[in-house]
Parts: sequence; C-alpha cells; structure tokens
Amino acid sequence: MSIFKEHRTIADRSAADRSRHKRKIEKAIREGVTDIIADESIIGQDGKKRVKIPVKGIKEWQFIYGDNEGNKQVGSAPGAPVQKGQVVKKGQQQQGQGNKAGNDKGEETYEVEISLEELAEYLFDTLKLPDLDKKKFKTMVQEKPKRHGTRTRGIRPRLDKKKSAVERIKRKSAAKRAGNIELDEEGNEDFPFHDNDLRYHHIKERPKDATNAVIFFMMDVSGSMTTNIKFIARSFFFLLYQFIRHKYEKVEIVFVAHTTEAEVVDEEKFFKRVASGGTHISSAPFLALDLINDRYHPNSWNIYAFHCTDGDNWDEDNDKALAAFMELRDVSQMISYTEIVLSGERPAWDKSDSSKLWSRMKSIEGKNMKMNLLRSKEDIWPAFTHLFGGNDV
Amino acid sequence: MSEWSFNDLVEWDERICEIAKSHGLDWYEIAYETIDYHEMIGAMAYHGMPSHFSHWSYGKTFERTHSMYNAGLEGLPYELIINSNPSIAYLMLENPLYLQILIMAHCIGHSDFFKNNRTFRDTDAAHVTRRFRSARQRIQEYIENPHIGIDNVERVIDACHVIQYQIDRRGRFRLGEKDLKNSLIDKINSDKIGIYKNIDLNKKPLEPEYDIMLFILENSNKLEDWERDIIEVVRNESYYFMPQIRTKIMNEGWASFWHYKILNELELPDSLHIPFLKTHNQVLRPWGGKINPYHLGFEIFNKIEQKMGIEECFTAREVMSDESFIMQYLTEEHARELNLFTYSPKGRKNPDWTIDDVTDNEGWPQIRSALISSISANSIPVIYVDDLKDGKLILNHEHDGRDLELDYADNCVKNIEKLWKGKVKLNTIIEDEPFEI
Repeated sequence: MSIFKEHRTIADRSAADRSRHKRKIEKAIREGVTDIIADESIIGQDGKKRVKIPVKGIKEWQFIYGDNEGNKQVGSAPGAPVQKGQVVKKGQQQQGQGNKAGNDKGEETYEVEISLEELAEYLFDTLKLPDLDKKKFKTMVQEKPKRHGTRTRGIRPRLDKKKSAVERIKRKSAAKRAGNIELDEEGNEDFPFHDNDLRYHHIKERPKDATNAVIFFMMDVSGSMTTNIKFIARSFFFLLYQFIRHKYEKVEIVFVAHTTEAEVVDEEKFFKRVASGGTHISSAPFLALDLINDRYHPNSWNIYAFHCTDGDNWDEDNDKALAAFMELRDVSQMISYTEIVLSGERPAWDKSDSSKLWSRMKSIEGKNMKMNLLRSKEDIWPAFTHLFGGNDV
Repeated sequence: MSEWSFNDLVEWDERICEIAKSHGLDWYEIAYETIDYHEMIGAMAYHGMPSHFSHWSYGKTFERTHSMYNAGLEGLPYELIINSNPSIAYLMLENPLYLQILIMAHCIGHSDFFKNNRTFRDTDAAHVTRRFRSARQRIQEYIENPHIGIDNVERVIDACHVIQYQIDRRGRFRLGEKDLKNSLIDKINSDKIGIYKNIDLNKKPLEPEYDIMLFILENSNKLEDWERDIIEVVRNESYYFMPQIRTKIMNEGWASFWHYKILNELELPDSLHIPFLKTHNQVLRPWGGKINPYHLGFEIFNKIEQKMGIEECFTAREVMSDESFIMQYLTEEHARELNLFTYSPKGRKNPDWTIDDVTDNEGWPQIRSALISSISANSIPVIYVDDLKDGKLILNHEHDGRDLELDYADNCVKNIEKLWKGKVKLNTIIEDEPFEI
C-alpha cells in the first residue's frame, strides 16, 4: 500500500528563479546591443532601420564533447534499412534561414529584431549629459521661418523645381497610358508644364525655443587617420549623435572636421567625408572657442565638446592644443579627448600606447575633462559609459 | 477532477502492490502526490526534489519545459519519482486513469531499483529530502546575508555546476591523502626494478584527482566558509544523482519491464488496456538516431528473462550498472535485431552526418564500444586534477578520441578559475594535437 496525498501548493516555487533568469536574458540583450552598435551596417542609418540582435540563451557551461568524427553517435532503427555511408543528417546550409542563428551545440540563440530607436532606448536608458545646468537666459524664444512641405499655390521665388518636374513626369506617363500625347509640327512630343504641375515651398513661421545646449563634434580627418580608425571615430560619433538626438531634442550640434585647419561642416559631410593632410589638433578647439565667443555664450549655454583623433599631432602643435583644450574646458560643462590607437596599426618604432599629446592631456584630466583610449570597436561602449555614467552592461 | 477519484487510485494501487510483491519486488514505500501540470513542470525543474536550493538555472529549465509543452513539442514525462525513502512520486491531475495505473506500476519498478541496486547504496535515501531542505535553507541565508548576496552565491553555484559531474563516478571511496602516501612509500621501499623511483611524494595530487570540487576544498586557502558550504552542497548532490546517470538504461528498462508485466496481469478492461498498450508502445519505441533508454533497457531485460530466467534479471538489477549491463547482456545477435548503427559528422564546416558502422560481424565491436562511450556518465568528458604548481591548478582531459567543444571548455576553465581564485590550465587534444586552454 502506498501513501496518497494532495500536493500542498507552496506558491509558485520557481518564480524567483524564473525572474532571476529573465534578468539575465535582459542583460544579454543589452550585451548583444553593445556588440552591434559598432556594426558597419547601422552607422549612418536613421532611427527606423531595424537591426537584428543575436541574444544567446543563458548557457550553463559544462565540459561536453564537440561534434567531431571521433564522437560517434549510436542509433537504433529496427526494421529500417541502414548501410555504411548513408546520410543520416544533412549538414546545415551556411546561409541559414529565418531566426536561427548560431549552430553551437543546440543552445538557443534568440534573435531579437528592434529598431534603432528601441535600441537607443535600451542603450541610453541610464545615460545623461553630465552637469546640464539651467542657464539664465534659456527661455528666449525666437521666430524662425522654416520650410514645411509644399503647396500647389505660391509665389515664384518659392517654386520647388524638382517637385514640379516630378509632377509633370507623373502627368505625362498617365497621358501616355491613356494614349493622348500630342505631337507638334516636327513630330516631337509636346508636353509643356501645366499650372497644376507647379509646387511651391510652404513656409511656416514657427516659434522655436532657443536651445540651451550646444555640442561640438570634433573629428580629426587628417591623412594619418586610416580607414579603420576613421570607422571607429565615426561609430563613436554616430552613437553620440543617436544619444543626443534620442535624449535631448533641443540641443544644437556643431560638426567640426579638421586637418591643420578646422571647419564647420554639415552632418552628412562629417560622417562621410574623406580627407587628407597634416594635423593641427588645436585648430578644432580654437574654432569651437571662436564659435562660443560669437554665438554660444557660456552664461546662457551648456557647452559640451568631444574630440576624436589618432593622436598623431604635429609636434609643434601639442602645447597649443593643450592650451586650447584647457580654455575650452573652462567654458564647458564637459569636454572629452578620445584617442584611437589600433594595436596593429601603430608604427613599429613607436612603443608607446598613446601619443605625446595624450600624456599632456592627461595632466588636465578631471571631472569635466574626460579621456578615452579606444583600441577596438569593443571599447566604444565602455568609453561611452565612462563619459555619461549609466550602469555597466 | 476527471474520470477518476482518489479512491480509484487507492484501489488500483492495492492490486498493483499485490502483484508486484508476488513477483518478489522489494521497494521503498511510495508517497504519491497529485499535482497539476504547472506544478509538475516546477517539480521537474528541481529534479522532483520537494525542496531544493534556488538558482536561476532551474528557472531556465522551467521556462524551457513550459514553452516546449505549450508549443506541443514535448509531452510531460508521465512519471517523476525520486530516490528517497519513502519514494516521493507525482501523479498529474490531468492524466487519465489508465495512465495513473501505468505510472504507479512503473514507479514500483524504479523504487525497487533504487532500493536494491548496488550503485545506489551510498545515496542515503532515508535522509535525502532532509538534506536537500537544509541545504536550501543555508543557501537562502547566504543569499539574504547582506555581506554575501545573490550575485556572490550565483558565482559559486555557476562555477560548481561547471564541474558538478567531475567527481569520482564510481562513488566516493578512495584512499585519503595520508594512506595514499603510505602505500606509495611501501611501494617505493619494496621497489626492486625502479618504476617508482621518480615519484615525488610532495606532488599534489599524488594520483590523478577526479573529484575536482574536493581537491579545491582541500587545497584552497582562499575560500570563505559559506563558499565551502555551497561547494559541499553541490558536490553532495552530484554524488546523489550520479548513480541515476550511471543506470539510466537499466532503471528505465526495469521499471518498464515491470509495468508491462503488472498491467498485463491486472486484467484491465479494454477501455483501459488498449490506451495503455498505445502509450506503452509510444514510450518504448526506438528513436532512430538516438538510443531510447526505455526501449533498450526493456529489450535487454526481456531477452535476459527469455534466455536465462527471471532470477538473472534480479541479479542484474542488483549488481550491474549500464556499462556492465550492456557488456554482459547485449549480444551481437540482439544488436542486429535492434539494428544498431553509428554515425558521425565528416569534416568541419557543417558536414553531413553519415553512417560509419552497422551491426554486422565487422561493425559490431565498433558499435559496442561507441555505445558504451555514449551511455551512462561516459557521455560526460573526464577531467581530472593533474598537478598544482605555484598556485596554478593543472587539469587534464582524459582524451578517448572525442574532442572537447572548445567554446564550452574555455568558459568552463574561466568559471573554475573563479572558484579556485587563481590560474587554471587545461590540457587536452584537439584534432590529434595537444591543446592547452
């Protein structure tokens, strides 16, 4: 005779262990995220772009045998014909399909697909611009005309030639389909612009809050910046850009590219341009200082500046650069100096880990002057959390 | 509740026990608990233990089983019984009556095996639930202790789980350090031909130490008391479960052998007998590309009974474990009937898996040895402590033709370092070359 009893339910006993497991998965998502932030394919994409992040199942490591010829499996198939050399299991095709990534030892890999915006959510959740002050005159509002779509009526100077031409082409192909294209005396197609084709810019006066923070993106684009270094610099700035845009709507970003001279460029140029030439790093902070003087008075503006270089500055400029950065630091909430040194790309005679400028800059490192050394794209995220706090992922 | 009542279970149990007794089965009393499927998944996640320490991996197991069950990929096991005295077994409320009858008969087979098989003699079935409960309470205290906390506890458990099966697989009886030393000294003194000449009596360990957790416990001076305690808990659990790993085929075979006999003797009405046969055939069907332990064990016990009588079956259930059981009783002729074959991937990058040997005169020896290496604890690589040099723990992998999965091995070593709190090195062989991690 056996004993029978109803099980005394002790709440949901695995609940705590499940939530612990879930937290580990979320952490894995964050880790997956930081793995792909420097992925080439997402640099320069807008927020709608969807990316796939492989998230590995949380593994329980054990010593196991790999799949190899020495590790023979045994099967049993009574009644079925089997013979030597028969294929039992097809090798998986490389391209793989759908969301099955990774073929390592039957461990699950989830692929989470998220948009860049969501990704930003995950990434930047806990990061912030340090020391963002409420500056005195921040509530200045200015009226600023802004283009806002197109209209069918308008004045000549605001004619949108491109849109109008497109409208004409549309009408023309519609007419062709209907078979009523007229020919002129010489037998050419005659298809003039019609009033209905014309499109005009619509201008709206929009009240615009004066921004109270300005961020200088300063990048060395000199000849010594190799493709790989530039790639890391751009990844860094791209991430920075996403971060600012995600968290702060009313922030002005000034893009500065420099060789021996610095210039203000637009966003597209900043991310895409190829340049060559020598290096005067000081040119960038000096240009920023000029702009601050002209437009962004520290009394009313929060100022941030980020500089990226390979550190290969011309010797005669090092002291000047240091002086310029010190001055910039004194008017800014925070500045940062980032040097990218790829281990494989350092000249053999140069045994130092970093540049001469680096050691000078080191002397002014502090709470509002932060330094980062990037050796590979994996270093970007740690550098980022170093700059903007946040939790370690 | 469905078509059956508690009383039905009691009545059928009485008849089942009667038949089992008449055949000479001798089992621990069984304590059945009825649970719903959600509780069943919970019980499974903790190996059926009524009380078990907390760790995220059990949450993972729960989630996985739960989602597979919901996706219809996996049925729940019909039975879950633990090696304790009394043996705790679970009956799922959703099961129909015929299945409960089958499970109860099956459980008697398991409990008889736990009680009588030699492999289990040191598992202390009478106190196991108490031991698990006390371990749970202590680990819970460490988790709640602000000076320790869950992250630290997890670090130690994670690392212990890496080597949980790297223990003395045949049981924990071995010479202590001192006795081993004395026996070696004797050997050296009576050594006339000089084979013991180069033995360094100060080497640690003197002989390969397969119980890595024990070695760490005995030789680390960096462990806190609570860490030692957790290592002991995991290690004891490993020794408790190792016999089940080593007798999976026999244990399932024995239980199936008996549920089949008992149910046939129960003279079930067709309404119960037909679905029973259906389930029985379902559970005991060969799996093709893999050995189904229920099927193989059942087949072999049947063959033993046919050829040597039931007494031999009882002897086997007492003294054998899977490895010796297969060696002793699986004949080439029977292997042919079972149509055993071996297969492996050829090449490195996602190759096809093709058949190497089929059971014929030529292939049988290879198949037998591949079968032996794939069953029991033999499917787990053997790693042992070879040396301790300048605080560095040197592990060797006993390579038997099968290479380790390197990514896993690498992460294992990192985890062991966290436990050892020092450098750990592993020597193995990859593609016929010595390899060091």
